[in-house]
Amino acid sequence: MISDTSDDAVTVVSPSAVWARGLVRKFGRDIAVDHLDLDIAAGEFYGLLGQNGAGKTTTIKMIVGLLRPTEGTAGIGEVDTWKDPIAVKRRIGVLPEEFNLYERLTGAELLDFAAGMHGLERGETIDRRNELLELLDLSDDATKLVGDYSRGMRKKVALAASIIHRPDVLFLDEPFEGVDPVSARLIQNLLMRYTDSGATIVFSAHEMHLVQRLCTRIGIMVRGRLAIEDTVEGLCERTGTHNVEDAFIKAVGGDIGSGEIEWLHNSSN
Amino acid sequence: MVAQLVQLKLRLLWNGLKADWQRRFGFPATMMALAIGAVYLAGRYLDTVSSLTADARIEFTLWAALAFFALWVTLPVVIFPLDENLDPAQFAMAPVPPLSFITGLGLAALIAPSVVVPLIVLGTNVAIHTAVLPIAIWSSLLFLVLMIVSGQLFTTVISAVLRTRRGRDFAMFIVLGIGLVGFAAQQLTRRAIDALGLEGAVLANPIGDGALFLPPVAAQRITTEALSGSYSGVAVWSLVTVAWIGALAWLWNRLLQWMLTTPEANAGPAKRSRSAGLAGGVGWSAPIVLARKELRFFVRDPRQRLVWTGAVIFLGLVASSILVGTSGIAQFRTREWIPLLAPGLVLFVGLPIALNMFGWERNAASFLFVLPTTPRRLILGKNLATAIALVLETVVLALLLAALSNSWSVLRFVPALTVAAVGCQLAVGNLVSVITPLRLPREGTDVFSQATEQGCLAIFAQLTSFAMIGLMLVLPASLMVLAVAFGEVLDPWMANGFSVIWGTVFYLLSVAITSRILKRRMPEVVNWVQTV
Repeated sequence: MISDTSDDAVTVVSPSAVWARGLVRKFGRDIAVDHLDLDIAAGEFYGLLGQNGAGKTTTIKMIVGLLRPTEGTAGIGEVDTWKDPIAVKRRIGVLPEEFNLYERLTGAELLDFAAGMHGLERGETIDRRNELLELLDLSDDATKLVGDYSRGMRKKVALAASIIHRPDVLFLDEPFEGVDPVSARLIQNLLMRYTDSGATIVFSAHEMHLVQRLCTRIGIMVRGRLAIEDTVEGLCERTGTHNVEDAFIKAVGGDIGSGEIEWLHNSSN
Repeated sequence: MVAQLVQLKLRLLWNGLKADWQRRFGFPATMMALAIGAVYLAGRYLDTVSSLTADARIEFTLWAALAFFALWVTLPVVIFPLDENLDPAQFAMAPVPPLSFITGLGLAALIAPSVVVPLIVLGTNVAIHTAVLPIAIWSSLLFLVLMIVSGQLFTTVISAVLRTRRGRDFAMFIVLGIGLVGFAAQQLTRRAIDALGLEGAVLANPIGDGALFLPPVAAQRITTEALSGSYSGVAVWSLVTVAWIGALAWLWNRLLQWMLTTPEANAGPAKRSRSAGLAGGVGWSAPIVLARKELRFFVRDPRQRLVWTGAVIFLGLVASSILVGTSGIAQFRTREWIPLLAPGLVLFVGLPIALNMFGWERNAASFLFVLPTTPRRLILGKNLATAIALVLETVVLALLLAALSNSWSVLRFVPALTVAAVGCQLAVGNLVSVITPLRLPREGTDVFSQATEQGCLAIFAQLTSFAMIGLMLVLPASLMVLAVAFGEVLDPWMANGFSVIWGTVFYLLSVAITSRILKRRMPEVVNWVQTV
């Protein structure tokens, strides 16, 4: 990787599929992301983990161009998000939060909209839309408004909208939240096959068993910084644990405590 | 518990002022504007009362009480909500007795800027009736309680209606209904006053006898009975008013309890669309896809539908004024250039959408802005949809006005003037949309208006923009009038050509400028319009 800081903005030429250099985001006095450096290779299934408020969503938003960094920059492949956002957006898919969808479009219309805005041909749009709806078991509900979908259905249609243009890099923030086990397994299989084809997935979740199952590499954020980064096996080895959940708790320094509150456990009060 | 609810409202108000600079500016400005409006209203009331004879004065105060009550209860919900009420759902699990609950909510509702209006107006009403001061104070206090309870009940009814998507779809009919009833009342009042004068009108239409069924009249009648020396009347109407307050409070409580224990889910099956997707029809490019999405939202989103159906109300009012009018607007029947007003009048309709095109995206802005479309194409797509709706409405209004004034020949000027009007509206709308986008409340919380903290800013932006668009249209409109009236001194082709060029140039300039601004400000726009 070559980094040249002679210009006003940092110019980066990187072989990484996803990268960030000195990324900082402040909200007033609070620092949400603190000088974060990140490199994710093509074809990786990367788990970006952290406690609530650790800065995962803020980081993803800065990489995809939805939130301007206070300092530093980020990008996809050789393109700097903050120099050529449109080029970056052509290459990525972002799973929208379930309440950020167009509730008054039908599932089919939402997918057509996403495809049309990505410049897919009309015929290809219809083919891909129907295939995705079929695969995700949404065909019968294709003409229902998204606002009438259940939480799991929203997640599925949102996922379909984020992959309909076959992005090189897919950003998934909590993709399995509220999804039933059958649909979750379906989505897992879809995503694993997707990375097999060379695509990169950046994945943020709290379901540690899924992280362990899916991710090839994990980065754990603590207070806006990347505290530890390794493969699943490497992470367990470095933390002296046997699974990602324990490794995560150890890495973030989580104080589990005894759960003891005197008045709560005393029936006479 | 009552004290805790009041303290909570105070704390929320204080925290809101501390956290948000717009509120720090907006709150005192709103209080000041409301106080000035209330003092003006009270002054007019005082002048009118002192100009009437004793009998007419009594009837007038009863009518005034009814009108003030109706406006105060309905207008804040429908047009201009200034106050934020405590959300009863937040206390669903709190062990609060119903009476304490509604008393607390009612008292908390008094901690709001708009309360300055009834305080000033009712204070004036007390000052007018110094001869029976204690009774006037009692009557005004009951009136205030009645307004608070009725206002809260009306707000709760609206919230109950808005809980389901179907209810939200229905909500616009409430607004239409209130608008039409208000217009009809204004017309009837105006006719009566035109025919008989104010004194004759109030004496010919006594309302005191209907006080039993009109709670605000009953409350005001307590004072008027005291003025005529009937203290038994004072007791009777006090009882009637208290009974009304009790009944309305009971209804309010029942409705609240129902809302807190009934799920929000739609009762019926989910709505299905007849269209398979967006990929049918003519054209397939990013601006066209975006325009198709927008047009669907114009129809499906009740708030946007309300903006566009405002034209229907407007058309109805214009038509009925011209057809039945005793007022000044009826003289327009004879003016041959009346259809030329259509493009200008439509500006009243689409402005809330044109001025805040990204605000209407709400949280979906983050979905839209990760799509790889250039700012220019985004703006073109949004503008295309707005222009289609504006042109359709202009056509309907122009045809209606041409039919009413029988001046069909003038219609040949309407298309060019429409280009100028729509071009100027979109030009100003684009600038305002990218420089000061406004955050709208999340769907389901409030169908009717801007987010409260941005109410002042929204109104200021709309008024300023409307004035600017009006100024931009002075020249093409004047040339059009010169081509059809005042001896037709201008060649029609020149007038038409100028209008088209005028609107097109402003529009293209605006697209060029706003695309560049949006390119730099996209993340800021997303973060500003999102509600969470």
